[in-house]
Amino acid sequence: MKNTDLPEAGKQDTFRTSLARIPLLGWLIGALVAVLLEHLTGLRLAEALLLPKVPVLFGLVTMLKTPLLIPSSVFYVLLIYILPTFIVARLTRPLTNRLSAGLFNLSPAVSAVIHLGVFYAALHLWSEISDYRVLTVKLTLIAIMLTLSLNLINGYMGEFSCSHPGFMALGAYTASVFTLSLFTDSRMFGTAVFQAGYGPFLFPAALILGGFTAAAGALIIAIPSFRTRGDYLAIISLAFMFIVKSMIENMEVIGGPRGLGGQPDYANLPAVFVWTVLCVWMINNFVQSVLGKALNAVRDDETAADAMTVNTRQTKMTAFMFGAFWAGIAGGLFAHVLRYVNPATFGIQNLAEVLAMVYFGGLNSVYGSIVGAVSMNLLGEALRPLEIYKWIIIPLLLILVMIFRPAGLIAFKEFNVRNLIRPRG
Amino acid sequence: MTFFFQNVINALQWGSFYAMIALGYSMVYSILMLFNFAHGDIFMVGAYIGVGVATVLVTLTSSGAIVLPGWLILVLTILISMFLTSFVGMFVERVGYRPLRDAPRASAAITGLMIGIILETGNLAIMGATRVKFPPIIESVTYNIGGVFVTNKKIMIVVISLMFMFALHQFVQRTKWGMAMRAMSFDYVAVPLMGVPMNTIAAMTFAIGSALASVAGILFGIAYPVLDPYMGIVFGWKAFVAAILGGRGSILGATLAGFLLGFIEIFVAMVFPSTLRDLIAYSIILLILVFRPHGFFGEPYSAQLRL
Amino acid sequence: MAKCMKILVLCLAIGLAVSPGVQAAEKAIKIGINAPITGDIPKVGEGTKFAAQMWLEDIKAAGGLDVGGKKYPVELVIEDNEAKAESAVKAMTKMITEDEVIAIVGPQASKQAIPGGEVANNYKTPMISPWSTNPDTTKNRPFVFRGCFLDPFQGPVLANFIKEEFKFTKAAVLYDVASDYPKGLAEYFRQAWEKLNGPGSVTAFESFTTKDADFSSQLTKIIQSGAEVLFTPQYYNEVALIVQQAHELGWKNPIVGSDSWGSAETVKLCGKDCYGLFFSTHYAAAGATGATKEFIDRYNKKYGYVPDDVAALTWDSIRIVQRAIQNCGKLTGDIKADRQCVRDAMAKIKEFEGITGKMTFTEEGDPIKCAVIVKISDKGEYEFYKSVCP
Repeated sequence: MKNTDLPEAGKQDTFRTSLARIPLLGWLIGALVAVLLEHLTGLRLAEALLLPKVPVLFGLVTMLKTPLLIPSSVFYVLLIYILPTFIVARLTRPLTNRLSAGLFNLSPAVSAVIHLGVFYAALHLWSEISDYRVLTVKLTLIAIMLTLSLNLINGYMGEFSCSHPGFMALGAYTASVFTLSLFTDSRMFGTAVFQAGYGPFLFPAALILGGFTAAAGALIIAIPSFRTRGDYLAIISLAFMFIVKSMIENMEVIGGPRGLGGQPDYANLPAVFVWTVLCVWMINNFVQSVLGKALNAVRDDETAADAMTVNTRQTKMTAFMFGAFWAGIAGGLFAHVLRYVNPATFGIQNLAEVLAMVYFGGLNSVYGSIVGAVSMNLLGEALRPLEIYKWIIIPLLLILVMIFRPAGLIAFKEFNVRNLIRPRG
Repeated sequence: MTFFFQNVINALQWGSFYAMIALGYSMVYSILMLFNFAHGDIFMVGAYIGVGVATVLVTLTSSGAIVLPGWLILVLTILISMFLTSFVGMFVERVGYRPLRDAPRASAAITGLMIGIILETGNLAIMGATRVKFPPIIESVTYNIGGVFVTNKKIMIVVISLMFMFALHQFVQRTKWGMAMRAMSFDYVAVPLMGVPMNTIAAMTFAIGSALASVAGILFGIAYPVLDPYMGIVFGWKAFVAAILGGRGSILGATLAGFLLGFIEIFVAMVFPSTLRDLIAYSIILLILVFRPHGFFGEPYSAQLRL
Repeated sequence: MAKCMKILVLCLAIGLAVSPGVQAAEKAIKIGINAPITGDIPKVGEGTKFAAQMWLEDIKAAGGLDVGGKKYPVELVIEDNEAKAESAVKAMTKMITEDEVIAIVGPQASKQAIPGGEVANNYKTPMISPWSTNPDTTKNRPFVFRGCFLDPFQGPVLANFIKEEFKFTKAAVLYDVASDYPKGLAEYFRQAWEKLNGPGSVTAFESFTTKDADFSSQLTKIIQSGAEVLFTPQYYNEVALIVQQAHELGWKNPIVGSDSWGSAETVKLCGKDCYGLFFSTHYAAAGATGATKEFIDRYNKKYGYVPDDVAALTWDSIRIVQRAIQNCGKLTGDIKADRQCVRDAMAKIKEFEGITGKMTFTEEGDPIKCAVIVKISDKGEYEFYKSVCP
């Protein structure tokens, strides 16, 4: 390909600047084309490259399992994902730039929705190839919600909370009891109250109820712990986590330690995606609002914030309960994705994972939380073939990140949607 | 009544583990203002080192190479393991904490957590899945005092741990190094400017804490001779609770909080149905914090905390 | 841009050249193993893995698995479930949809086997859990089987045994409230015991939480209650601690356990304290004969310890899978049809001669199997004491 198809401005149009001038829409359309390509030719290409199957997570698993297939996997990723995305994004640049400019001027909100739509289409097509991808994507999206909601407390508010698994458990159990008792014939709660057909429509109600339960739990922690500054939130929240776990273990009505299973299959990919988008959108708005700024002020200097008429206690409580609410929603989704929960899931191990994702991604940053959750989840799946050593490599990586970027990969960065979707031509 | 005294004895033993682990935790917390989430796993490593040392000594004795009585083996095991484990602690400090001293506080907590996971998994990878039995150094003798059963092990555990706690208290109160530590916990910023070597004090804090953890590990191995790589996790988190409950910068506070935690756990199981133990025990701790938000002995501090 | 393209083309060329030129071999039969290799119970995972690998050796030595007169190579897909429910679900989904296994052995513990069975059943993939004794694992799941007996069977067996053997009327139970296997079994035992000896005959029903090491408070309560026997359906690591602490607190009566005691580790960790105690299990290693002894000797030689019940049950389960594949007659290559065929063949298996006893599946996919009461001898060996059949 020669440079002839470039506009005259292309004198100083090096490779990098030419990419920088592609708007987000261009990349998304490129990705969409790439996954379409995978749908059409993926299987045949994989066969031609002697791969056993279509590489499920960008070939990472295959590479670690049989190093002999590394060239084929790299090749596959290059041919199916990277090249088409680049080429399409580059070729459609004038078009997409004009399009995003038009949309942006029309209404940034509409533009954002359209971007999301294209993104979802690409994600959906990509995950449709295998159910394993669907499951991984769902759990990753839930992890994003969890990470973001914890970042609100640990990053934006600057406290150290350990109760996220507890909030998750509250949400998961409340939502499960709601759906199980109302829409299914279960052994524990008797026959369905409503017809199963209403279920998917009332599912959001179940989740929100779970979120409120978690927020109510947060209130129990918040009242004693925000009276003074210090590390008391850390242990109060830790004690709360133990209490929630022990409480569920003792409630035979909801299965006790045996867990609660058979939740209806409401948490499909679109549902999880919509909730995640809602979560990102609301938390992002929250931290950019006056309340969010007040929160940062409280973190940086409580006395000064107080002097500036910030109601510190109320600010902290609101943020804490807001974070807990989203953890509860994530828990409800988690229960309906796995369709089984038991109290042992919501223990210290879970806490360590969420904390790791928050600090890996970066404090005080929506971007960071998304990056942290996605990369930790992908790594966790991709390193499966290493068995035990997976749990040496992941922590090692985190330590390195912490040493070289102490606040996390992408910390203290605002997530600006307008900036993201604007045209760049 | 015997029922009650029996449980007092049980709780004394159980509490002394919490107290000893909480001490190491509390020292790091008060001097560097950092959470040492690797501490539970240092305790685990200490116990494993103890097993190694004890096994070597026992086999040497039984093969006739050297002749050591049981108590000497125990003393040697404790001393050698303390020495070795303190290096683990210093290593953790050097790798996970020193580079992050000016970072957000929680970041160091995360490196600690991650080092802990590496220690656990590394142990699993090296030692395999088989659980390790602590070699029987001391023959267990049970005394029946008016219906209350006490073993020689229990007495020994409580005595040894109290001894070490007392020694630590003396060290912190009476020596120059101890004074430096106290000063550091008083003002983290100004004291290094007065010529107190920050790095040395930090390394020393970790070394002493880890040495204590290894003593706890060995005593734990004697009392509950089944060791596995994940044994330190719960201990670490509970010691974390005890350390903060005790109040910042207070050795006595951490010790008492450790014992209190042991007593609460044992006595709740005694009085209430034991299924509700965690539920009630932690509710009590929550209540204590509501009424004494600064712990037992900690001073209310308003010093600027880093993130 | 042009330069970039050149590099890409070069990459393509190199990629094609380097790509391994091996011929695609005969499509292998893949069997999934879902085991807790890391996490709380790594020893269980190890036993599962070792038994499966030993089986694979046999198949390799025979030059593949003979199905309908054709030899197929066999591959094991071993996935770690980290002893977590969600990880078991992920591993299950991955093996079924990605690796296209024909059948799955595992997960072992009920905590993972119950959600795992849900996945297997949804994808219509035969699964056999060697060790999960909880009824929910196979309930209403035509594709899920198990290799062991159930808790509702084991509880009464033990209650009857204690009644007959010692003529006791008062029993105490100590179990882990946070783990569903001990909790379930403890409750079935209580029901059975109270049916035999009337209400109130269980004088203490005490619990603790996973990872606890000190049981002194609960044991003191149990001793106070005047119980004549202590039943503790715990895993081997806790058994050692419970028995020792009970003796230190002055307990002199018998302690009885369940199949979770049946690990080589129990006696190693517990020592003399455990000698003379009884427990129910799937097979007794000491004094075994025939195929069982052969298996034990081979395993012992290869891995250096006497296999526990997990290894033995895994061995049986994987051989049931093998038998089902062979009974299926012919593999079409269409994984869905083959899975259905294997499932149907498995359900039809009658009187399978396993090393842990004869097995025939009920409609739920549970085997009708005998339990064995084992006594720990004064040498620390598991001696066959008596056998109880349903």
